[in-house]
Amino acid sequence: MTPPADPLSPDAPLPNPLPRPEGEVEKLKEIWKTPFGWRFPTVVNNNWIGVLYVGTALLFFVLAGILALVMRLQLAVPGNAILDHETYNQFFTTHGTIMMFLFAVPAMEAMGVYLLPAMLAARDLPFPRLSAYAYWAYLIGGLFFFGSLFFGLAPNTGWYMYPPLTSKPYSPGINADFWLLGIGFIEISAIAGAIEIIVGILRNRAPGMTLARMPLFCWAMLVFAAMIVFAFPAIIWATILLELERAFDWPFFLPDRGGDPLLWQHLFWFFGHPEVYIIFLPAAGMVSMIIPTMARTPLVGYGLVAMALVATGFLSFGLWVHHMYTTGIPQLSLSFFSSASFAVTVPTGVQVFAWLATLAVGRRVTLNVPTLYMLGFLFIFVLGGLTGVMVAVVPFDWQAHDTYFIVAHLHYVLIGGMVFPLLGALYYWAPTAGRKLSDRLGRWSFWLLFGGINLTFFPMHLSGLRGMPRRVYTYPSGMGLEWPNLISSIGAFVAAVGVACVVVDLLRNFRMETGGGGGGNPWSAGTLEWLPNDTYAARSIPRVHGREPLWENPRLTEEVEQGRHFLPGTVTGRRETIVTSPVAAVPQYVQVIPGPSWAHVVAAAGTAGLFTMLTIQLVWLALAFGALAVLATLWWLWTGTDYGPLRDDAEIGGGLRVPVYLAGPDSTAWWAMIVLLLVDGTVFACLLFTHGFLWLVNPEGWPPPGTPLPHAVWPLFSAMGYTGSAVLLWLADRALGHGRAGVILPAVLLALPLLLLGFGADLWGYWSAGLRPTTHSFASSVYANLFWQGLHAAIVFVMALYLAARRLAGMVDPVRRVTFDCVRLFWLYAATQGLAGLVLTHLVPHALR
Amino acid sequence: MRATAFATVIALAGCDEAVPDHLRIPGGNARLGARIVAERDCGVCHVIPGLRGARGRVGPSLAGFGARGYVAGVLPNNPDNLLWWLQDPPAVAPGTAMPDLGLRQEEARHVAAFLYGLR
Amino acid sequence: MSAVGPGTGDRAWGDAQSVLEPLGPEAELIADLTWVLFIGGGIIFLATMLLLAVAIRGGDGPRRILGSRRFILWAGVAFPVVVLSALLVGTLRVSAALDNRPMGAEPLKIEVIGRQFWWEVRYPGTLPSGGIVTANEIHIPVGREVELRVSAGDVYHSLWIPTLHGKIDMVPGRTNTLRLRAARPGVVRGQCTEFCGAQHALMAFYVVAETPDGYERWLERHRLPAAEPVDEFLATGRKVFAAAGCGGCHAVRGTEWDARIGPDLTHVGSRLSLAAGTLDNHRGTLGGWIAGVQDLKPGANMPSYNAVLDGRELRAVSAWLESLR
Repeated sequence: MTPPADPLSPDAPLPNPLPRPEGEVEKLKEIWKTPFGWRFPTVVNNNWIGVLYVGTALLFFVLAGILALVMRLQLAVPGNAILDHETYNQFFTTHGTIMMFLFAVPAMEAMGVYLLPAMLAARDLPFPRLSAYAYWAYLIGGLFFFGSLFFGLAPNTGWYMYPPLTSKPYSPGINADFWLLGIGFIEISAIAGAIEIIVGILRNRAPGMTLARMPLFCWAMLVFAAMIVFAFPAIIWATILLELERAFDWPFFLPDRGGDPLLWQHLFWFFGHPEVYIIFLPAAGMVSMIIPTMARTPLVGYGLVAMALVATGFLSFGLWVHHMYTTGIPQLSLSFFSSASFAVTVPTGVQVFAWLATLAVGRRVTLNVPTLYMLGFLFIFVLGGLTGVMVAVVPFDWQAHDTYFIVAHLHYVLIGGMVFPLLGALYYWAPTAGRKLSDRLGRWSFWLLFGGINLTFFPMHLSGLRGMPRRVYTYPSGMGLEWPNLISSIGAFVAAVGVACVVVDLLRNFRMETGGGGGGNPWSAGTLEWLPNDTYAARSIPRVHGREPLWENPRLTEEVEQGRHFLPGTVTGRRETIVTSPVAAVPQYVQVIPGPSWAHVVAAAGTAGLFTMLTIQLVWLALAFGALAVLATLWWLWTGTDYGPLRDDAEIGGGLRVPVYLAGPDSTAWWAMIVLLLVDGTVFACLLFTHGFLWLVNPEGWPPPGTPLPHAVWPLFSAMGYTGSAVLLWLADRALGHGRAGVILPAVLLALPLLLLGFGADLWGYWSAGLRPTTHSFASSVYANLFWQGLHAAIVFVMALYLAARRLAGMVDPVRRVTFDCVRLFWLYAATQGLAGLVLTHLVPHALR
Repeated sequence: MRATAFATVIALAGCDEAVPDHLRIPGGNARLGARIVAERDCGVCHVIPGLRGARGRVGPSLAGFGARGYVAGVLPNNPDNLLWWLQDPPAVAPGTAMPDLGLRQEEARHVAAFLYGLR
Repeated sequence: MSAVGPGTGDRAWGDAQSVLEPLGPEAELIADLTWVLFIGGGIIFLATMLLLAVAIRGGDGPRRILGSRRFILWAGVAFPVVVLSALLVGTLRVSAALDNRPMGAEPLKIEVIGRQFWWEVRYPGTLPSGGIVTANEIHIPVGREVELRVSAGDVYHSLWIPTLHGKIDMVPGRTNTLRLRAARPGVVRGQCTEFCGAQHALMAFYVVAETPDGYERWLERHRLPAAEPVDEFLATGRKVFAAAGCGGCHAVRGTEWDARIGPDLTHVGSRLSLAAGTLDNHRGTLGGWIAGVQDLKPGANMPSYNAVLDGRELRAVSAWLESLR
C-alpha cells in the first residue's frame, strides 16, 4: 500500500468530496447565528466585534477631531478668546490622548479583529470573548474619559503627562486621574487584543498557509501585536508609579525625596516611540494589500517588506531618547539615538519603494477611491518621513522640538501614515461586509482631506520655525504667525468636510449582510478575505499553496463554497476552528471556541466601573465593581474555556484526523499564557529599570544612609515560601503527568499559603523595620516591588481557588488539564518573580554599597 | 506695528458716520486715536470693542461710550469733559484708579474721537 | 507688542523669535543646517514623487526599471544609507562645533530658573551679598561667551531663544547649561517650550544683547538698591506696597522685603515687559496688572488686588513701582 499523499500538497485531491451531506451548511449557520435584539451585546463573533470596534474608533476620531476644530478656531487669529486657557489645555490634552489611545491603536486592533480571521480563513480568532471584552471595556472607558470634558474634569497637562506637573502638588484635581483611567482601559484592551492577534496569526492560519505565504497585513499585525507586548508594559508600569505617587505620596518623580522626573520620560517614551510604529505598521500592512490588488500583481519584494516590518519593530525600541534631546542628556548618547533614528528610515524606505515598484510592474492603476488614498498616503507620509529625518538631527531638533514644526511633522506622519491608509482600507474592504461605498462621496472625501490636511499642516512648519511653541492657547501678533495660523485653521475646516463625507458615506452605504455572502470580490483581489463570507467565515477552510490563492486558483471560491476544502461543517456541534502549526500551518487540532455570553460583558462593565469609581474616589463602589468584574471573569472562564475532549478526534478532510482538545505546549491557551507572561516579565523589567535608574540619580547612597532595613530572616523566610510553593506546583505537574489527578487539591492548598507567606514575610520585614514608602524614592521603589508582587499573589489566590473548584467539579484530570497548566505557568512565574524581587531589593543594594 | 494696523481696521469698520454731531471732536482722528489706545495698552483695564485682546475688567467697558451719561461717573459726557478727563483723570476724580497717562492735547482729541465712534 | 495680552501697542524693538533670523553664531550654525536639511529634503521629496508619477503613468521602459527588486534595494537601502551616513557625519560636526567651541575669556555665567509662569534671572558674583536678581529679561554683552545655567523652581520648563540657540529643558532637581553668544546688539524674544501648566502660553522673556559698555552700565545701575521715593505720592505708593503685604512674595533690594516667591522688583520699572513678556511696562499696565492679574493671566500665582486697594492706592503703588528704574 502506498503511503497516503500529503493532504496539503497541491496534487492531492480536494480534502472533501461532493456531494456534501444534507443540512451541513444549515447546521453551521445555526451554530454561528448572531444574537440579535436585547441579546445583541452578548455577540462575540469577530465580524460584529470588528465592525463595532472600527465604528467606535471612528467615533472617537470624529470627537477628537471636533476638539481640534475648536482649537483651530481659537488659534485662527492672535489673542483670540473663544476658549479660555483651562478649556484649551483640556482640549489639547484630550485631543492627543484620544487620537493616540482611543482612536489609532484601537482602530488598528479593530481592523485586525475584523480582517484577520477572514484573511487566515479561520472561523474566528481563538479567544472571541477576549476580543469582545476588550471592546466593551474600551467603549465604556472611552466614553467616560470623553465625558470628563463636560464636567471640566478632563486632563489638562498634555497627553504625555510629565510629572511633577502631573504630581499631586501641581495637579491636585482628579483631571490627571481621568487620564490614568482612560489609559488603564486602553492598556487592558491593547494587551488583550495583542494576545488574541499573536496567537490567532500564529496558530489559526489556513492549512498550508506557511509564514512565507501569509498576507503582509498579517505580518504587520504580528509585529504590531509583538510591539504592544513589549512597549505597553512600560506605560503600564509608568502609570502605576504615577498613580501610586498621586494617591499615596510615594515620591518616584519628586526630586526633593530622591525621585527623578526623567524616570517618567524614559518609561513613557520607551512606550511612546514604538507607539508611533505600532500605529503605522498595520497601516503599512494595509497598503501592502491594497496596492498589489489595484495593480493586479503580487507585491514586488514580499520578503524585503516582511523583513522591513520586523526590522522596524526592533529598531523602534532603540529610539525613545529621540523625544528627549533637549533634556540635557550627554552628546554621546544623543549621537547614538540620532543614528538609530536615521537607521529606521531604511526599512521604511524599502517599503515605500516596494510599493512604487509594485505600481510600476503591474497594470496601470485606475484612480478609484482606495487607490487615491494610497497615492495620498505616499505623498503625505513621505513628506512627514523626511521632516522626521530632520528632527532626528540633534541640533535641528533643539530648535524644532516642542514647536509647531513638530506638530506639522507628527500630523503628516500619523495622518499620512495611518488615517489615509485606514480610510483607503475602509473603502477597499467595505464590500467584505456588505457592499461598496459610494465612489462619488469617496472622491470628494479624498480631495477635501488631501487638500485640507496639506493646507492645515504645511504652514505649521513655518509657524514653528518662526517661534511658535506647541500647546499654547494663544500667541502674539507681530511675530509673523498670523497668516500661517489663519491658513491652518481654514485647512482644518476643509479637512473636516472631507471627514464628514466619509461619515455620511458610511452611514448611507455601509451594510452588514451576514449570511448574504458579502459584496463579492469587486477589486478582483487575490487573498482569502474575499472568499464568500459569513459569521463562520468561509464555508470550508481552503488549502493554501501560495500568497494569492484566489489568483492562483480561479476556482477556489467555488470549491470553498461547495464545502470541498477542510472542515466544511462542524465536528462537535459547537463553534470551532482549525489550529495549525506556527510555521508550516499543518492542522494540529480543532479548537472549540465559546459563543455569545453575558459573562465577559459584565466583566467589562465591572472593570469599567472599578476604574471609574476609583477615579471619582468612591472607593466602596469601586470595590463592589471590582468584585463583580472578578466574579464575572470566573463565570466567563468557567463556561467559555477548557471544554475538555468532547470527542476523541475528528476527520476534517483529506484523511486528516485531528483531536478536538489539546493540552500542553501546543495548545492555544498555553501560547496565550506565554504571551501574557512576556507582558508581565516586561513590566518587571521596567521595575528593575526603575530601581537601577533611581540608584544612579542618588549618588549619596542607595538606600540612603540611615534607612531602616529589615533583618535578613525576613527575606529568607520569603524566599523559602516562594521556592516551596513553586516546588509543590512542579511536583503536582509531574504527578499529573503520571495520571495521578488526586495530588492537585492537596498541592494547591499547600502551595497557596506558602506563596502568600512568601509575600507576607517580605512585606512585614520592611514594615516592621520602620521603612515607609513616602520617605524616599528607595523606600517607594521597594514598596512598588511589593505592590507588584502582592498583585501577583492576589491573582494566584483567585486562580488557585478557581482551579480547586474546577477540580472538585471534576473538570481537571490528566487529560483535561489546560486550566491546570495555565495556573501552573502563572504561578511558577509569580514565584520566580518574587524571588527576583527579593534579590533586587535585598541583595543588590548590599552589593552596591 | 502690523498688529496695530490690523486692530485699527477692525475697530473702524462702519464707525465714523454713526457719530452724532454734538459728539464730533474738531481735529480728532479716530484712526489715530485707535492707534494711541493700542499703544497705551488701554485694553489692560478696559474692554474695547474691535481691539483684539482688549478685555480688561479693571475699569468699565468702553462699548457704546458715546451713549454714556457721565464720564467717570462725575462729569456729564461731552467732548470738553472727556478731553479733560483723558489728560488728567486724578484731577477730575481724585479717588480714581485710572492714572494720568500723559496724553497731550491733540492725542486726547484723537482718542476721544475714537471713543465716541465705539458702538 | 503682542496682542496676547490686552495691550496692543507697538514696540520700539521687534519680537524676533525666528529660527531663521539668527543673532548669534550658534543659532547661525543651526540655521545653516536647517537650510541644508530643507533643500536636501525637498529634492528627495520631489524625486520620490516623480518616481511615483512614473510608476503609475510613465512609459513602459522607465516602469520596467522601477518594477524590480534591484530598484527597491538601490532606492530603499543603498541611497538612504549613503545619504544618511553623510548627514550623520555632518550633524556630528555641527554638534561638535556647538559643543567644543574654543573659549575666549571665562564665560559669563547667568542662572535662569523657570517658575510657573515666569523666569528668575540671577547674575552670581555681581554683588558682595551674592548677585543681582531680575526677572523675565536677560541682559548679555555682545561678543562674550554666555553660559546659562538653567533649573526649575517647580515643574518642567524649557528655555528657548531661537535667535541665539536651540532650547534646553529646565528639569526639576537638575541643572543644565547652554552656551551661546550674541554677535550684534539687539532685543530678541524667548519663550517657554515645555508645557508647564495653565499659563504656559504667556511665559516669555526678552534677551537684551548690548555692547559691552552698555551691559556694564546696565549692571552698574542694577547693583544699586531700589530708588528712594522722591515725592509724597511715591512714598504713599511704597506704604501701600507694605500695607498690602506685597513683600510677602517679592523682594526689593535696599528695603526689608526679600521674599523670593515672586519676581524681584528692585528695578522693575526698567524692564521691558510685565508678567513674563505679556504686557508693556508702564504705570498704566502696572496698575491694570496688579488689580487684574487673574483676568489677564488666570492661574498665575499672584492674586488680583482690586478688592484690596482703592483707586488712589493702586495709582500710587503703580507709580512707585514705575519709579524703581
